[in-house]
Amino acid sequence: MLITQLKSKETIESLAKGKTFIVNCHGCKEVYFAEHEAEELQKELSETNDITQIVTTDYICHPDNLALQLKKHMDKIKDADTVIVFSCGVGIQTVAKYLDDKRVYSGCDTFPLPGFQGVTPLQVDCAQCGECYLNYTGGICPITSCSKSLVNGQCGGAKDGMCEVDKEMECGWERIYRKLEKLNKLDTLKYEPKVRNYWHPDAEQTDAE
Amino acid sequence: MENYTKFKLKRKEELTPFLEDKDNLFILACNKCFKEFEIGDEPECSNLEQLAKEQGKTVVGSAKIDFLCNETLTSKLLQSIVPEEAEDIFVISCGLGIQTVAEQLENPVYAASDTISVDGQHGMALTTTLCDACGQCYLNLTGGICPIVDCAKSLLNGQCGGAKDGKCEVDKNKDCAWEKIYNKMESLGRLDELLAQQVEVRDYSKINHKFINQYVTSVRESRFEGYYGGVHPSEKKEFSENIDLVSFPEPRTVVIPLSQHAGAPADLIVEVGQTVKVGQKLAEANGFVSSPIHSSVSGTVVAVEPRLHPIQGIKTMAVVIQSDGENSIHESVKPAKDLNDITRDEIIELIREKGIVGMGGAGFPTSVKLKAPQKVHTVLLNGCECEPMLTADHKLMTTYPEEIIFGMKTLIKGSGAEKGVIVIEDNKHDAIEILEAKTADIPNIEVAVVKTKYPQGAEKMLVKRMLGVEIPSGGFPTDVGALVANVSTAKAVSDAMQTGMPLVERIVSVTGERIKNPGNYLVKNGTSVKDIIEHCGGVKGDDTTIKLGGPMMGFEVRDLNVPVIKSTNGVIAVETKVSEAVECIKCGRCVDVCPMELKPLYYTKYAPAENWEGMKEQNVMDCIECGSCSYICSSKIPIVDRIKIGKKAIREGK
Amino acid sequence: MRLTEFFDRGEFVVTAEVGPPKGFHIEHLVEEANEFLKGRVHAVNVTDNQSSVMRLGSLATCKVLKDNGLNTIFQVTCRDRNRIALQSDILSAALLGIDNLLLLTGDHTTLGDHPQAKPVFDLDSVSLTHAVKRMEEGFDIAGNAIDGEFPKFSKGAVVSPCSDSVDAQLAKMEQKVKAGVEYFQTQGVYEPEKFIKFMDKAKQFGVPVQLGIIIPKNVGMVRYMNANVAGVHVPDDMIEELKADKEKTKAGITGVEISARIIKECKDYCQGVHIMALGWESKIPAILDQAGL
Ligand code: SF4
Ligand code: SF4
Ligand code: SF4
Ligand code: SF4
Repeated sequence: MLITQLKSKETIESLAKGKTFIVNCHGCKEVYFAEHEAEELQKELSETNDITQIVTTDYICHPDNLALQLKKHMDKIKDADTVIVFSCGVGIQTVAKYLDDKRVYSGCDTFPLPGFQGVTPLQVDCAQCGECYLNYTGGICPITSCSKSLVNGQCGGAKDGMCEVDKEMECGWERIYRKLEKLNKLDTLKYEPKVRNYWHPDAEQTDAE
Repeated sequence: MENYTKFKLKRKEELTPFLEDKDNLFILACNKCFKEFEIGDEPECSNLEQLAKEQGKTVVGSAKIDFLCNETLTSKLLQSIVPEEAEDIFVISCGLGIQTVAEQLENPVYAASDTISVDGQHGMALTTTLCDACGQCYLNLTGGICPIVDCAKSLLNGQCGGAKDGKCEVDKNKDCAWEKIYNKMESLGRLDELLAQQVEVRDYSKINHKFINQYVTSVRESRFEGYYGGVHPSEKKEFSENIDLVSFPEPRTVVIPLSQHAGAPADLIVEVGQTVKVGQKLAEANGFVSSPIHSSVSGTVVAVEPRLHPIQGIKTMAVVIQSDGENSIHESVKPAKDLNDITRDEIIELIREKGIVGMGGAGFPTSVKLKAPQKVHTVLLNGCECEPMLTADHKLMTTYPEEIIFGMKTLIKGSGAEKGVIVIEDNKHDAIEILEAKTADIPNIEVAVVKTKYPQGAEKMLVKRMLGVEIPSGGFPTDVGALVANVSTAKAVSDAMQTGMPLVERIVSVTGERIKNPGNYLVKNGTSVKDIIEHCGGVKGDDTTIKLGGPMMGFEVRDLNVPVIKSTNGVIAVETKVSEAVECIKCGRCVDVCPMELKPLYYTKYAPAENWEGMKEQNVMDCIECGSCSYICSSKIPIVDRIKIGKKAIREGK
Repeated sequence: MRLTEFFDRGEFVVTAEVGPPKGFHIEHLVEEANEFLKGRVHAVNVTDNQSSVMRLGSLATCKVLKDNGLNTIFQVTCRDRNRIALQSDILSAALLGIDNLLLLTGDHTTLGDHPQAKPVFDLDSVSLTHAVKRMEEGFDIAGNAIDGEFPKFSKGAVVSPCSDSVDAQLAKMEQKVKAGVEYFQTQGVYEPEKFIKFMDKAKQFGVPVQLGIIIPKNVGMVRYMNANVAGVHVPDDMIEELKADKEKTKAGITGVEISARIIKECKDYCQGVHIMALGWESKIPAILDQAGL
């Protein structure tokens, strides 16, 4: 799941060279899109720069849909020197590919949020490590709940059960330990040292058969 | 379609020793997301079952669940499907599903699968274009080609020199990203920019727990605000929210359909050629769930004939009246008894007699709600107006606060409730202020301010949000002791009591980005939509769609020769949306936003296949047609249209 | 010389830690080590970009100290190197004749002076220990054979006896022992009772433990540690003791007294002591004298 944040006003101003066409994507707005901030910024931009059109649509990451949505604006786009896209990185790349001969710029930075399906980010996360460790950890993911993604127990940096990186974040391994304790399964932790495998040559045939 | 969510059963060598000290297994599998949605061929539990059985383990059961990581739906389901005797739970899904189950159940929960990748989350369309969400988008420097994802080493300052014949050293089938970037920049004439680029050093601290956590918390809060599901479409109220309410000019002719409410059409009691006056009854309620119809003008009945109905889309019986412009009031229009003297039954009769129906949506006769046998404790007045663009209720609240409160008092008495709550969304500050001030001294009426979320104004959501209870499937608010009415309805009740005027006019917002002069008008029942639009200066642009109601639930009208009826809260002109539905990609968004906790994706499959049984099984009749699913669908499937087809077929007994 | 040999001989093993500077002139460090540590300690720990602050490398510093006749412990963290670089540096250490390793996960990058850096953590303390052990058996962690002579080290690790969750610490300690750790140095101890209780449980692993001492310099420092440093807790009466005579504390006398006292109280329960002087290396001889070592 992705969220977007606007780039700084100065950056965007410096990008809007010549006739500028703006595309906003609201497809993932439920997850997050700084709708009002973007509107504000584009209004201000219209006063100083030559903004020829602002189009707000959704799911521009879908190439066919993108083509359909931009169809009636193609004249203005052809005429523009610059196209600035306010969307996640996928949307921007899709536009850049579609408008191959245009300067396509990104008005946003994209950040990850935990959760794959739907529009509600989750409190649990999965980094798709390919060798699920949950069986050793009482169902708490060490890759995502530990700042260092450690797989052989805590680093020792936690203070009062809170991670050394962020005092508002519980130490993942502390949570794992407590959970296993509760399940009366502390023995689970007595496994051989684990070394992660970052190489998945078999990633292709992967259906749960 | 490719399978984007990739997880696979763990290898036998790993599972076998692991199973040793486990027994009485229960196996849960997720039906996966981001794949072609087909009913019935989802991942199998049988391999694991077999493996366990080979080891002499008892498998006490298994289940396949849609969107296992959807906590709300999964936790409800788990309560009913995991048998008592289950000890160890094995889950086949991606890591999210497994962790979600582990959080919900007391039993030990184990992963039976490894997660390899879930690419679909990167943008909804399932393409090969990916984004690693680095928090510092570099596309502006690279001509729109992502150096983080496309370059195997995520280099930021040009290629590594390992490419051979333009192919990446890591994968001979992949083009070297930096080679692509170079070529693209060259073709754009931006090579000098590329060469002048400063050294880029990536900032890995940008994406940190605090930052992400703040987002997760705030997004989750707004998503779970009050009730499950719902959406936050752009409000777009600015077109008409600051324009004062005025009366629409007297129409020359009105067309008043006999069916303006839920239930049977009214029975005509006037004839062609007869003169009628304002407030005179034209048609009598025909049955328990029905409502009388009154004239909104004084003049002559010139025709009684089938005319195009604004929402039914077909011609239905209507009374056509030519106005004499006099507006003479019918003698039946006189104030009712004082609120202190009138009895509950008399209130109910009055409300029925004056043709008052729900003015927010389906036009359900208000008197029928009041007559419900269940004990009602709270009257909820819906002033949310959660539909984007519409400002009719907003204007009503700022213009007629006294009437609304009087109507509320009448409804409290009429329903035998103890108290009343006026619910307003937090984007209507002035209305909140006025009503709060005016109700401050009334002990049993309060104003509740709620955060905006569509479809808050729907009865079921309102009750859930305000009272924290769920209305049972197929039930009504009265089943849980609540009476829900729209603020406009309360105003109509007040008119019926204080002046005796039946429901013959209402507030209509005329708005949308394509209307020339937006406004809020007090419009007589039967006024032509065409006249209204013309009065407002017409529309801009030829790619315009006119809808009656808001953008979410409104009905598109192609022929503008239709009248305003009791439930017409808006006439909007918006840009025509062009979209082509593609296959469902199981993104799960519709499931996440459906406030009724349904799984709309099934309807997209079942309706075209005419599988009405399947639709019933998926509780299609519980759908409130709020349109949240269609709004969010990443495949642009007109889900509500398909739902309506299914409901119609089921109602017709298919 | 390998630390394990001292332990095997039943010696009470004394080590002290030095931190390389941010720069490549280490004359001062060498001078201090020669003056205060030589002859008094069994080995000198050299920290590895301590607290995620970029400094001169641990391995090079070890080599220079070794050339000056000091026995060294090469501290290795997993923060900045992936498994290839880690194993390669371990081989380099063998080449340079470094006999002792202290294998750590390492602080997170965001805590130091390069918060933007990419945190690596490809391996962690346990898997790194496992990797070294594999190398000692003739294979790298990917299973490829190592040419020629196999390296051999004393493999150390750390543990926090006064941590808020001692049980979890013990579990981790057990994992480390199983992975091949041969001695432990502890986080700074200020509460002997807690340490003794911890040792009562830790002795089951049969691996020597060195009591960790961080010389308390002043009230500000211990308050900071109480608030921020994992596994460290300075009790109130000790803070009072530091407060009592400001001059004495400033001169380092109080710190030395406290440190020596803790060592004496814990000596019978452990196999050595590890002193983290944090710049006060000059105080080490006094501590050892007062502790009777
Ligand atoms: S261990 Fe964590 S990252 Fe790996 S598959 Fe399981 S949930 Fe996902
Ligand atoms: S993300 Fe959710 S729906 Fe998709 S596979 Fe995982 S558990 Fe199932
Ligand atoms: S229209 Fe029906 S199925 Fe769709 S979100 Fe609304 S209630 Fe759910
Ligand atoms: S939102 Fe549309 S594409 Fe996504 S699961 Fe629902 S029906 Fe399918």
